[in-house]
Amino acid sequence: MSATRRMIPNVRPPAGIVIFAICLPAIVLGGPAMLQANPSLADAVTGVQPKVVKIYGAGGIQGLEAYQSGFLISADGHILTTWSYVLDTADDSVGVTLSDGRRFEARVVGNDPRLEIAVLKIDARDLPYFALDQAVEIAAGARVLAFSNLFGVATGNEWVSVQRGVVMARTQLSARRGAFKTTYDGPVYVLDAMTNNPGATGGVLTDRRGRLVAILGKELTNAQTNTWLNYAVPITELNSAVVDILAGKTRPRAASRDNVKKPKEPIQLQMFGLHLVPDILAKTPPFIDDVDPESPAYLAGLRPDDLVLFVNDRVVGSCKALLEELTFVDRLDAVRITVQRGQELMEVTLEARP
Amino acid sequence: MTQFERRAPVGRLAAIHCLRSSRLQRCYWTRTALATVVPRLLLLVALGMPLPAAIATRPGIAQDNPDDQEQVIEDAVRRIAPSVVRIEALGGLEKVGQVLVGQGPTTGLIVSSDGYIISSAFNFAQQPSSILVTLPSGQRTVAKLVAQDLARMLVLLKVDTEEPLLFPNAVPRDAMRVGQTAIAVGRTFDAAQNNVSVGIISALNRIWGKAIQTDAKISPTNYGGPLIDLQGSVLGVLVPLSNQSQSEVAGAELYDSGIGFAVPLSDIYRNIARLKTGKNLQPGLLGVSLKGTELFSAGVVIGACPAKSPSAKAGLKIGDRIVEVDGQPVNWQAQLKHAIGPHYAGDSVKVVVERDGQRLEVEVVLTDAVEPYEHSFIGVLPGRDRDGVGVPIRFVYPASGAGQAGLVQGDRIESLQGTATTSSAQIREVLAGFDPGAKISLGVRRGGEMRIVEVTLGQLPGDVPVQLPTARSALPDVADRPPSGVVPIRIPEDDHECIALVPATVHPQGQYGVVVWLHPPGGFDDKQIAERWQTHCEQADLIVLAPKSADANRWLPTELPFVRKALDQLMRSYPIDAARIVVHGYQGGGALGYLFAFEHRDLLRGIAAVEAPVPLRAAPPDNDPLLRLAVWTAYSAKSKLAGPIKQGADRLQASKFPVTTIPLPEPRYLDDQELAGLVRWIDTLDRF
Repeated sequence: MSATRRMIPNVRPPAGIVIFAICLPAIVLGGPAMLQANPSLADAVTGVQPKVVKIYGAGGIQGLEAYQSGFLISADGHILTTWSYVLDTADDSVGVTLSDGRRFEARVVGNDPRLEIAVLKIDARDLPYFALDQAVEIAAGARVLAFSNLFGVATGNEWVSVQRGVVMARTQLSARRGAFKTTYDGPVYVLDAMTNNPGATGGVLTDRRGRLVAILGKELTNAQTNTWLNYAVPITELNSAVVDILAGKTRPRAASRDNVKKPKEPIQLQMFGLHLVPDILAKTPPFIDDVDPESPAYLAGLRPDDLVLFVNDRVVGSCKALLEELTFVDRLDAVRITVQRGQELMEVTLEARP
Repeated sequence: MTQFERRAPVGRLAAIHCLRSSRLQRCYWTRTALATVVPRLLLLVALGMPLPAAIATRPGIAQDNPDDQEQVIEDAVRRIAPSVVRIEALGGLEKVGQVLVGQGPTTGLIVSSDGYIISSAFNFAQQPSSILVTLPSGQRTVAKLVAQDLARMLVLLKVDTEEPLLFPNAVPRDAMRVGQTAIAVGRTFDAAQNNVSVGIISALNRIWGKAIQTDAKISPTNYGGPLIDLQGSVLGVLVPLSNQSQSEVAGAELYDSGIGFAVPLSDIYRNIARLKTGKNLQPGLLGVSLKGTELFSAGVVIGACPAKSPSAKAGLKIGDRIVEVDGQPVNWQAQLKHAIGPHYAGDSVKVVVERDGQRLEVEVVLTDAVEPYEHSFIGVLPGRDRDGVGVPIRFVYPASGAGQAGLVQGDRIESLQGTATTSSAQIREVLAGFDPGAKISLGVRRGGEMRIVEVTLGQLPGDVPVQLPTARSALPDVADRPPSGVVPIRIPEDDHECIALVPATVHPQGQYGVVVWLHPPGGFDDKQIAERWQTHCEQADLIVLAPKSADANRWLPTELPFVRKALDQLMRSYPIDAARIVVHGYQGGGALGYLFAFEHRDLLRGIAAVEAPVPLRAAPPDNDPLLRLAVWTAYSAKSKLAGPIKQGADRLQASKFPVTTIPLPEPRYLDDQELAGLVRWIDTLDRF
């Protein structure tokens, strides 16, 4: 049996950041004409499809789809997919449909909450699969194929949807604190195709020859631009975690980045002898109002009317952001501050007096 | 709303687009590549420039080999990379209009070796307090915002640096082909690396000729960055654009949809010297009003051409038909927009018009802002009898030009500037070509004597005369009169109710003004309307049209089309005086009245609002020489909305609409006396 829709106790809301526009769902590429016209691409698709599976689990309410995608990573039925609410079922089992239409009840072998991946297992043999250690790395501009059951278009023995695009960038997902609502903060491929839509997560990204590259991520908005983000996590980042999961090693739930440890005794501006202008606007620019004579700030050369731009290389666009950033700095640590004075940038390192 | 619902509609659009693009793209690889490359090579040779080595030594370009494609794209991006900079705009607003702007890094393109950088205005819509540019060496520097191009939504930045900077080649417009590969390049995810999206050029000459279109994924991750071809030359600079709105964030809702725009770099290079002077570039305007508002109906005829406008200075006149601009034929208004769209204020364009069967060519210097048009005023009310020669004078405003020239009630205006006058409407149309302060000559007959009088034109007054003589003599008895009293007005296939209150004296040869009454929350009953208006309707020749909102407690802006249909229906059934159609409303009805008046300028000549502000979302239109709109607003200083009401009225006054303000002692509807004042104001709207 499969495709069970279960109520779930732990509903993860979809990326709840205010966006300013609709984003786009995906594009199913591939009529027969395309395949004929480009045999090498057709070969790639034909080689990949039997390794991709459709996963059905919890969800089905409040716009949370009860399905996602995954792909086989061993001949005897191990499946790599995204750790998400879909897998969070009462009995730790989900429905899996292979590309040939065979249905299985899959067991969740283990997961890595920080990397947001999980390994499933079905009872089957001699399946085609991707060898994780043969995954390749690619660069921006590389043409890629994304295979996933986005929007649940494919059912039964239908092949999942294929999308074509290029790698827009390879970058760290955690470019700034709180930029994305996910616990994963490693490297990702950002894609220029609309891959990350409901049901796509756990799908596979290959290069144009069909070689394993990455696993499709969740639906996230990029907080730096307030736009939807299409990304995939390189397999090379996940290899050792999968080995651990298969070896039965439990991986501790890592602290999410939202709870990055703050020091008990954070630094305060006064300790440097710095005073900001009164914070009266929604985003008051962090201008220095006053510098205590002979204070560390004064000796480092900071002066009234300097505008603070960065604290330890993090952008601080307002008084509020500056104060927030300082709560992450222990009072025993040095702080690197970049200020703008007229058209000049100046960087100083401040240490509080003991 | 779920994400699925939110995303689905445009997705279909994107899907269609992408399927199409995949085909076009393959087509490009096999055929169009050479077609595009070869003319450019010829061009370079013709200019005596050395051939770029990369082009000459890449024989595999036209082959359908995916590995080569990737390599070609990578090379192209690598070539442009040193000119693509990362920009950080710090501080400023979080929201621009309804749009939550991102705070992340954006992209810019170096356009000169001495530190000028072009970028998208979207990236600076939040009005940042600091702008930092990371130069190719990795050095962060402070940038100055030099000037903005408000027609193409670009900004020019300047950094001071000793670092050698590379600026790119621009692909000329005539070398661009729809279907050729286009690569969008940004530098937002990573300072050391470009982000790329690959697509094709999907259209040329978009947004009234200002931009090209691409199906590469354009979003805040690459706004301000270049759209390049496979040689790494720059086609354009990526910007969100809309052909309807001029805001920095307009068009951004199309991000990643496969509909993206780029301003050709060749256009930017051509105008960059002007931006470098630090003056913003504004869209260029001819300063004329056209007859009709249809973009695609034939015949582009000047309806008004105020004396201060550049067109009038160039010698254009009302009635001229524009047939050509800069050598491009103009048959309908959209073509005129296309011809003028790419130009800035200060540019001069060659305009060919037809006047009396003759072709006439003039050079018009476009302007950035047409001064608000102000109607001129002789200072009389016309009598409404339609017999005899010329137009009889019903009333002379004492302080007006007419008053000072000694005109009196009973005089007949038989000519204006030497042309015979036939109706008050005709006089108003001629006056549209004159500004207040100008002098005109009137042929005035008093008794048997005809004389020419010179009158200095004034402005339309806000004050309403306390007493008015009757507008017409008694009409002959007639057997057949149209229906009167409370008459139901029915619109086919519309469930709304609507009544008209028609005076019992209604006469087929009369001319009736219309008061469209938009009721306040709570609706109205027919009897109350009849009691309030009956006498006024009879004395001032008025018909009250009272539509009912579906929900008696509130009007929806979507109900305005029904109101318009009811008005059209009324005008088909009764003889209506086009100079005296007003919309009148109390509270919410008044606010909606402003929307109605602004949207239906072709019919509405007045808006009379009681205790109602101009809605914030209603952009007050420009005053129009031909389509007059007078404003009458009554409110109490004690009203909660007194501030916004006054602000709205002031705004309209500043736009040169004639505004009459009536103070009320309490926030309430009008009493008998105030209502009588309103009726007198309506009675004067055929003034000139």
